Amino acid sequence: MSFAYVEGESLLMGINDVAVSSGSACTSASLEPSYVLKALGVGEDLAHTSIRFGIGRFNTEEEVDYVAGRVIEVVRRLRELSPLYEMAKEGIDLKSVHWATEA
Amino acid sequence: MAYSDKVIDHYNNPRNVGSLPKEDRNVGTGLVGAPECGDVMKLQIKVNEESGLIEDAKFKTFGCGSAIASSSLATEWVKGKTLTEALAIKNTDIVKELSLPPVKIHCSVLAEDAIKAAVTDWKKKQGDGEKF
Repeated sequence: MSFAYVEGESLLMGINDVAVSSGSACTSASLEPSYVLKALGVGEDLAHTSIRFGIGRFNTEEEVDYVAGRVIEVVRRLRELSPLYEMAKEGIDLKSVHWATEA
Repeated sequence: MAYSDKVIDHYNNPRNVGSLPKEDRNVGTGLVGAPECGDVMKLQIKVNEESGLIEDAKFKTFGCGSAIASSSLATEWVKGKTLTEALAIKNTDIVKELSLPPVKIHCSVLAEDAIKAAVTDWKKKQGDGEKF
């Protein structure tokens, strides 16, 4: 799942009592966004905001509710910290911005 | 990945989060990084007209915990400094303070770039006749 305007690793750090991963299993150890998501047509920007949730047969509904609650809490907090969220709220099209990519 | 206590502290209690009015003549805004690279930092400084000191600084960052910590620390460090002193802050100072691992050094580079971009923006607003 992707959470626009919130970088995946910072979200992981906020829900550190839950075992999840940013990106696909193939790329979880790397800082690069998942090539699996990219192959699925997800843009690089959104690929940086993705989290992989794994659910098994021993998970309970309560656990799912708990994780959902934690994710909502942290996403809200990190969006308040996100310049992209602020720009999007101002109506700026992030795709039209000329980003100063690393020199 | 193991984060240092200082990175975790800045992540949990980021300093100087927010925005200053970017049209204000005394405010300089730096926006660096790109969403496609996974890091975007916005750092703003407010320069006191009389003293030439940075009297306020704010940031917002999209990025990992180390990027958030680097920019949070940068705002703490520039406050109360002259522009020359702020420009002297090196990314290696941030790496040292936050004990950033090699894969996170780019976060500190981005924070240094953000300070420089904010100062450049402020200078551009003042025109050429300014003395600071």
